[in-house]
Amino acid sequence: MSTKTYDAIVIGGGHNGLAAAATLARKGKSVCVIERNETCGGMARNAAFTNGSLAAQIAHLLYNLNPKVAKELGIGSAKAPLQTKELPTVSLQEDGNHVVIRGTSASLSTGAAHPEAAAFDALISRLTRFAALLGQMSTKSPPALEGGLMDLATLGELAGLAKLGFDLKRMGKKEMREFLRVILSNVYDLILDDLEDSPLAGAMAADAVRGAYAGPRSPGTVFSLMYRLGQGGGAQLPMGGMGAVSNAFEAAARAAGVEILTGKGVARVLIEGDRAAGVELDDGGSLQARAVLSNAGPNATMMLAGPEHYDVEAVRRMRNQRCKGTAAKVNLLLKSAPQCTGLNADLTAGRILIAPSATYVERAFNPAKYGELPKDPVIELVIPSLTDASIVKDGQHVLSAVVSFVPYGLEGGWDEAAQQRDQALTLATLEKYAPGISDLVMEQQVMSPADIEAKTGAPGGHWHHAEMGIDQILTVRPANGTAHYRFGPEGYYLCGAGAHPGGDVTGVAGRNRAFQLLKDGVL
Amino acid sequence: MSQHDRYDAIVAGAGHNGLTTACYLAKAGLKVLVVEKNDWIGGAAVSRALHDGWTYSNCSYVCSLLRREIVRDLELPKYGLQVIPYEGGASFTKGGDYFAYMSDHDALRREIARHSLRDVDAYERFSQTVIRQCRFIRPFLLRNAPDPTSMKPRDISELLFLVKQAHDLGSKELGETLRFWSMSIGDFLDEHFESDLIKAHIAGAGIIGTGLGVYSPGTAYVLLHHYMGDVDGTIGAWGFARGGMGAISNALGACFEEAGGKIVMGSGVDQFLVRDGKVTGVALENGDEYHAPIVASNMDVKRTFLQHTETKPLPDDFTKAVKRFKIRGSSGKLNIALDALPDFPAAPKGASFLRGDMHCSESLNELERAYDDWKEGRWSQNPYFDMLIPSQIDPTMAPPGKHMMTVFVQYAPYDLEVDGVRAGTNWNDATRKAFSDCVFDKLEQACPDIRSKALHAEIRTPWDIENEVGLTEGNIFQGELTFDQLLFNRPVPGYAQYDTPIDGMYIVGSSAHPGGGVMAAPGANAAKEILRNIGKRGAMSGYAA
Repeated sequence: MSTKTYDAIVIGGGHNGLAAAATLARKGKSVCVIERNETCGGMARNAAFTNGSLAAQIAHLLYNLNPKVAKELGIGSAKAPLQTKELPTVSLQEDGNHVVIRGTSASLSTGAAHPEAAAFDALISRLTRFAALLGQMSTKSPPALEGGLMDLATLGELAGLAKLGFDLKRMGKKEMREFLRVILSNVYDLILDDLEDSPLAGAMAADAVRGAYAGPRSPGTVFSLMYRLGQGGGAQLPMGGMGAVSNAFEAAARAAGVEILTGKGVARVLIEGDRAAGVELDDGGSLQARAVLSNAGPNATMMLAGPEHYDVEAVRRMRNQRCKGTAAKVNLLLKSAPQCTGLNADLTAGRILIAPSATYVERAFNPAKYGELPKDPVIELVIPSLTDASIVKDGQHVLSAVVSFVPYGLEGGWDEAAQQRDQALTLATLEKYAPGISDLVMEQQVMSPADIEAKTGAPGGHWHHAEMGIDQILTVRPANGTAHYRFGPEGYYLCGAGAHPGGDVTGVAGRNRAFQLLKDGVL
Repeated sequence: MSQHDRYDAIVAGAGHNGLTTACYLAKAGLKVLVVEKNDWIGGAAVSRALHDGWTYSNCSYVCSLLRREIVRDLELPKYGLQVIPYEGGASFTKGGDYFAYMSDHDALRREIARHSLRDVDAYERFSQTVIRQCRFIRPFLLRNAPDPTSMKPRDISELLFLVKQAHDLGSKELGETLRFWSMSIGDFLDEHFESDLIKAHIAGAGIIGTGLGVYSPGTAYVLLHHYMGDVDGTIGAWGFARGGMGAISNALGACFEEAGGKIVMGSGVDQFLVRDGKVTGVALENGDEYHAPIVASNMDVKRTFLQHTETKPLPDDFTKAVKRFKIRGSSGKLNIALDALPDFPAAPKGASFLRGDMHCSESLNELERAYDDWKEGRWSQNPYFDMLIPSQIDPTMAPPGKHMMTVFVQYAPYDLEVDGVRAGTNWNDATRKAFSDCVFDKLEQACPDIRSKALHAEIRTPWDIENEVGLTEGNIFQGELTFDQLLFNRPVPGYAQYDTPIDGMYIVGSSAHPGGGVMAAPGANAAKEILRNIGKRGAMSGYAA
């Protein structure tokens, strides 16, 4: 084992860990990433079927990659290549009257105009404008409030908020009032104030709550929709599968000089004199560093250092994080492309939603609260092989489905029978919209929230490591008093989705942490 | 046939807020008229004799939020108002046990320990947080909500007051406050307590009157809304108005008449009269007209503008905002005349907590499922209720030896679903009876002999409350208490300071800041605003002077 002392060690090679490492390395720091799995990638990775065809193991579309981060790290450049294709959204209806959404325009799958196209355009455009405003907060530190409101450092951070306020004011009184009204509201009322309850409304509602422990009627879901619209909301399909995204982050990190150690788990973080000094590995070895960043969940990050380094209140907060995962993943290997009733081949290659109304989405959430599977689940599916044939063999196709409101805490636990029930439920639902699809299935993969937790370490299998509720964002993410990335002992930082600004494949959480660490003068 | 009486100000609706506005205006020297559609005053703060010998507080039933500044300014005790605090409460289980809340701290600790040792300490942390939040919010109740889009000196000074209060909390508490205000009561309780029964007992206050479930974010604030009042300075305490909740309205009415005001009952406002963007008076359903340059509507904002005002002269944005304002009925009531005190076999004989608020909900999931029913247009098959027997403390409510029971039931939808159709008109004798049977079934969990003791029951659904009291959809707060409808958003962004697009016309009911409950704060704040706008700021008596 090396006796070298790194400037920084990053625990976990998810995209945020890689982004943090790359950012530090680009500033000339020596950095080592330690990944428990054999390859990096966290939730953005591919899984192979037995014949070698690939499907996205967990996340399957990219919609929130921060362009500032991508530019800083050179994601998409020759050193870290990444190609994506934007997909239209198709929201299905059982009778075949589907709705197609491209950006802010809605039409019917027949090509005819959607009767609510104007109202939808106005609504989604306004939300996207608001989202862009909020987006400016994502790359800044949240106000720490530590010295009180009048403290100089806090005032500097509050300037970010002041800038937001100023930009709001510049939008005009009417827009500012609307922003302040809807920001804490629920998406169900927001949508249905302007639209009929149809697949168009259902698509917006489903997008607002995917991955969240919330139904569209839960207050705070307008914020989660805005978060999703941070980069305009367009869904990008990565060529070569979601693993290509992590490969790009990994390539960017390596190009910057980051060392990556895979197949090694971290047993604990070494603390010397209330300062992070390195990590001890599962195999007994240890690595020295002057700073340690953790891409794990907030509670796991605390436990790695040991709760004795945190005050009682912080320990309680970490243990009470809201992080109940609600999304399962089902991948199907199909003999041939499935046919959705009334959908042409072009649109079948799009991002397809089963969320025929906002009420349907709310109903699907209800059973999850009691640890039950939904009767009629909300599904987001994509058949990437229709766009990118390189990931499959012999004219086969893969269907990648995110099934919402499948609870982490399933009554009776996640055993094989439960997985089969989840699989059967997914197929039965798909069958309603694409009759005959079951006969095409050659092989299936299922990842329950419990599997996602086991595979990636994400607490509760939650996509965002911690629920993106208003009570867990900004200054109180992951918890009151720990929002400033520094996490307990000096030189110890949380760099995953559990920290500000939160989840999705954005790269921002990792990148922000790296900058904060440099600013804090730890190195 | 029309009368042409001229007044300085007319108040439409003799609810407690309308009467409060009327009192302050009359005491400031204005000639004020109150018009009321019913043959009695009080709105939802009434005492009604609906069964011979009994008095029902048939809408609101307990008192805590009524601001003491207003009680003092208007000298309500002089006009007969007496609030008697009650102590404690209990939640009964199917298995024959209960959790009792007691105001005696040591007794409460022992009772909590009976259910969970760990929760004894949790309760201390919980109550400290809630009290801190109450102290933070109370100063805002009698102040205007600042308009954050405005550059007017008074809006800026109100905003600065808010910043100052926030700053004074200190950094840690400020973070806690941000979190508390946006949490669900379910999550808040889950992170403190382990006993399901204790959690269920406390959670009720987070959902009463709302169209939210215990796990909906924002319900921790609703709990605060029910804890921020006081009885004689004891924050969070609740009491009975002696003689029923009508005692509050009657005291306000007497104060108003002594100040020279006039109340006309028996005919509601048909139309608010508006000329050239200015209000000129009201036309009643019976054809009478009254004129005044100031008209204050105690009706909720939807009823005021969508039913009784010509919308054409109103800005489209305003009308749209009023239409989308959420006023969802979610609760019903049973008022029961009892032949004798029912037996509570689980409780010790004569236990003090039987004189408080009683419930039969055993877990947060049970409460959340009750909410799921409501979303689908059904009343909760396993409802939450807040049940009290005020006649134990206030013997004026029933004949000697007999008792009166009030049961607030949640959830009950306004637009009941029958055969796929959701409509208020689905509430008829049959559905009302089925609703009441469902509540009685659950009451038997606490007092199995309740059916044999009940002599008469008044069943009130959201539909009935709308029709009798005039509260849209029977919503007891005149508008949901969610953040999109609080502070500067209440009731309409840009019109959150009791004013409306019509010159001289004001909203003075619970649709306005700071919202519902028998608080009288909207009415008093509105009076202050009216006097300020007519240049008589100095004439305001009491707290705002």
